[in-house]
Amino acid sequence: MTDTPDYKAESPTLEAWRMFRRNVPALAGVVILTFIVLATLYGTFFYSGDPYNVVWAPHEPPGVTPEFPLGTDYLGRDLVAGLLTGGGPTLAVGAAAAAITMVIGITLGSLAGFYGGWVDNLLMRITEFFQVLPALLFAMVLVTLFSPSLWTIAFAIGVVSWPQTARLTRAEFLKIKELEYVTAARAIGARNKRIIWKVILPNAMPPLIVSATLTIGIAILFEAGLSFLGLGDPNVMSWGLMIGANRDYILDAWWPVTFPGLAIFLTVFAVSLIGDGLNDAFNPKLRER
Amino acid sequence: MTPLLDVRDLTVRFAMPRKGLFGPRPTLEAVRQVSFTLEKGRALGIVGESGSGKTTAAMAAIRLTEAASGQVLFEGQDLLTLSNDEMRAHRRNVQLIFQDPYSSLNPRARVIDIVREPMDLMEMGTMEERTTRVRDLFRLVGLRPDQLSLFPHQFSGGQRQRISIARALTTNPKLLVCDEPVSALDVAIQAQILNLLARLKDELGLSYLLISHDLGVVRHVCDDVAVMYLGKIVEKASRAALFDSAQHPYTQALLSAAPSLARRKSKGYVRPLKISGDPPSPINPPPGCAFADRCPRAQDICREVQPDLEDKGPTRVACHFPGPVAA
Amino acid sequence: MTALLDISDLKVTFNTRYGQVTALDSVSLHVNAGETLGVVGESGCGKSITALATMGLIPMPPGRIAGGSIRLADEELVGASPARMRAMRGADIAMIFQEPMTSLNPVFTVGDQIAEAIMLHQKVSADRAFKDAVALLDRVGIPSPAARARDYPHQLSGGMRQRVMIAMAVSCRPKVLIADEPTTALDVTVQAQIFDLLNEIQRDFGAAIVLITHDMGAISEMADRVAVMYAGRIVEEAHADDVLDFPQHPYARGLIDCIPALGREDHALKEIPGVVPPLHLLGAGCAFAERCEHANDRCRHEKPLLANHGHHPAACHGVEEGRI
Repeated sequence: MTDTPDYKAESPTLEAWRMFRRNVPALAGVVILTFIVLATLYGTFFYSGDPYNVVWAPHEPPGVTPEFPLGTDYLGRDLVAGLLTGGGPTLAVGAAAAAITMVIGITLGSLAGFYGGWVDNLLMRITEFFQVLPALLFAMVLVTLFSPSLWTIAFAIGVVSWPQTARLTRAEFLKIKELEYVTAARAIGARNKRIIWKVILPNAMPPLIVSATLTIGIAILFEAGLSFLGLGDPNVMSWGLMIGANRDYILDAWWPVTFPGLAIFLTVFAVSLIGDGLNDAFNPKLRER
Repeated sequence: MTPLLDVRDLTVRFAMPRKGLFGPRPTLEAVRQVSFTLEKGRALGIVGESGSGKTTAAMAAIRLTEAASGQVLFEGQDLLTLSNDEMRAHRRNVQLIFQDPYSSLNPRARVIDIVREPMDLMEMGTMEERTTRVRDLFRLVGLRPDQLSLFPHQFSGGQRQRISIARALTTNPKLLVCDEPVSALDVAIQAQILNLLARLKDELGLSYLLISHDLGVVRHVCDDVAVMYLGKIVEKASRAALFDSAQHPYTQALLSAAPSLARRKSKGYVRPLKISGDPPSPINPPPGCAFADRCPRAQDICREVQPDLEDKGPTRVACHFPGPVAA
Repeated sequence: MTALLDISDLKVTFNTRYGQVTALDSVSLHVNAGETLGVVGESGCGKSITALATMGLIPMPPGRIAGGSIRLADEELVGASPARMRAMRGADIAMIFQEPMTSLNPVFTVGDQIAEAIMLHQKVSADRAFKDAVALLDRVGIPSPAARARDYPHQLSGGMRQRVMIAMAVSCRPKVLIADEPTTALDVTVQAQIFDLLNEIQRDFGAAIVLITHDMGAISEMADRVAVMYAGRIVEEAHADDVLDFPQHPYARGLIDCIPALGREDHALKEIPGVVPPLHLLGAGCAFAERCEHANDRCRHEKPLLANHGHHPAACHGVEEGRI
């Protein structure tokens, strides 16, 4: 009947990707993060060395001995090997914590937002309870109660950071459930489960994805904080643990603390750039339509 | 013959937020004892200003809003007594078309999936049969089947409304509830959609419950018209009777408010019947006729006694002083 | 007599994903003092862009005024400094929008918002401005204005909010008032009230009104003169009665015939098939050719210019050749 010029389907997701691709800082974030992930995954193939072995004199400054380009720590362990090995657990804890945050937050938030009434009241009071807990302190308690393994740490971080996601999800649900396509779904006899998962959640995802990305960054900082306080998993090398172990000697040797710190900073920075880029891509102010 | 839809004394109440922490919870009667019938193959228009309860009445009649009391007989069966599962199975008989073509389609779904979804839910036929039906429906509503895999934002407002109509027709419904189906569209596009609705009614034998604030729209599609004001029907008649000899002053005011090519600025037109102000609050409706405050004919009795809907001359009207527009 | 607002050969382009498109193509319009010009067309025809360009509110980039001039009381607005435009907006030229809810700030009372608009352009005390605001609310027909001035926008009905917008727009007695679909979001009863109010305001304040609408019914009740727009061009322009009684361009005729009017026989409405073409797909011919039952080869290949072919100016080969 009438002409729609583009016969090519333009999915909203694809549209967002197109915006994202044009965002230089976000792409820089992707490049940095990819580099970091690849280095932690495959770095040890090219740079062999055990991060736990004492291989040289302690506190060898960087750039002096060619075999140990970034120097050694207070025990004489290779820092490059430490960085390459410790990145994996750090990133894993970040990702796992973000995943736990998302699962708890989205589940509770969507139930509260969709059903409203007493369900909402109950879930929101629980959320507030967790929100007013001092997060770091609570995570410390959790980690001390259970043994400080990577998974307890990820779990602890997840448990203290989900309330924000729950609130965001709830707000999105409250907004979207009033829209007519949701009523339309009810009018064709869709069950609540389908409406929540298939209709509302996909439309609520954009801000949640942004928030998930930023949560990864926060979780990495959290892990570093816990390790710094000596609550990290002592058996697994991570950037946080490196900082924590070397912090007492920071006045004698700056490098064993600074390089893992830089690695954390770069990772969180890259993740934030990506998060901001996603945010802009999902909420374009100047999109043509 | 049993009418397709027979709504009796339908009342809808909404609880308002509590006044203060332990204060009473005021209720708002959005629809007050509304009754109407709709015969198969006919179209009933419900007209009124926003806040008149016209949309709520229709939504309650198809159980998308909960009714406080009353009966909704669909082919003789009371929908309000059905269980949730029975109601879900019944939904295929009644479909909806919304006002806003931008918020009534899921922006993250392809239009083929949007139109097919009702069949998926009701497990009608095989996947190929469903897809064929979607194509047929697309042609029926005047869209091209090669646009099936596009997303809603790639269509104009009028085209989106056609998609909405296609979705509504998927399950072969008997009744289509159209909530302001064209008021978000340009006048030029309104004509396209109204013609399509009129054509589908004839071709498929559909019945419509059409909600609109615009009598021009109602006139084009509907056989009967009910005028609502503050939750009550104030006048009900066949189209011809209502447009030619409306008895209620509110209906007359509505007729005179619709923009008309006959009223020219150059000729210094004066609107014959002006109503000023807004309807009273539905939380505390006045004891008498709700329209009395804005009515040119109001007497003391109007403010004290609520008029009943009665056959008076050419229409059924709820007014103490019905009659044609005074010259 | 020179016109109060004189737009000539205005060309506005936008950079889009599909490259540069021409949103307004040699648009010429004028409005005299105390007169209402109706600009009519479907969404996407360039009506609102014309209004925004006049207000100096085109987002740049992606927009650009590529040529032409906009003169308000003999002052050139194209290329005027942002400071000058700011001083002008609200004082000499004001605008009313379609959605009165989103154009009012929800966290201030309506009285304060009107008072602020007054104080932006006039050196008066806050007290004086608030009193003026109350008087304006009274003028636009809001009952118990002193009390309503202390209400927040959400406490008012849609019609009341639009009255507040009108009060704000006329607070500095602008020479030109642009009303962009002022009643589209409102009930017909309220629309009638707003139309009557705008006509009254014009009689009292003598402002020129530019009414942007898609409804020929609104044109009939409001406009002295009409410009019909299609795809960024003016396709017909004349006195309202001439356009309404003797439409020349098939598009103008279509806009009149498609109204589901009261008091007309019950038959299928005349519809204009199809939709307004997207700007990046405009070809060399008449933009309306695809939807026009009278279109021929010439229409599809040569753009018609606005010219008087008898009754009044229209941009149509069919009219020129006497086919329509």
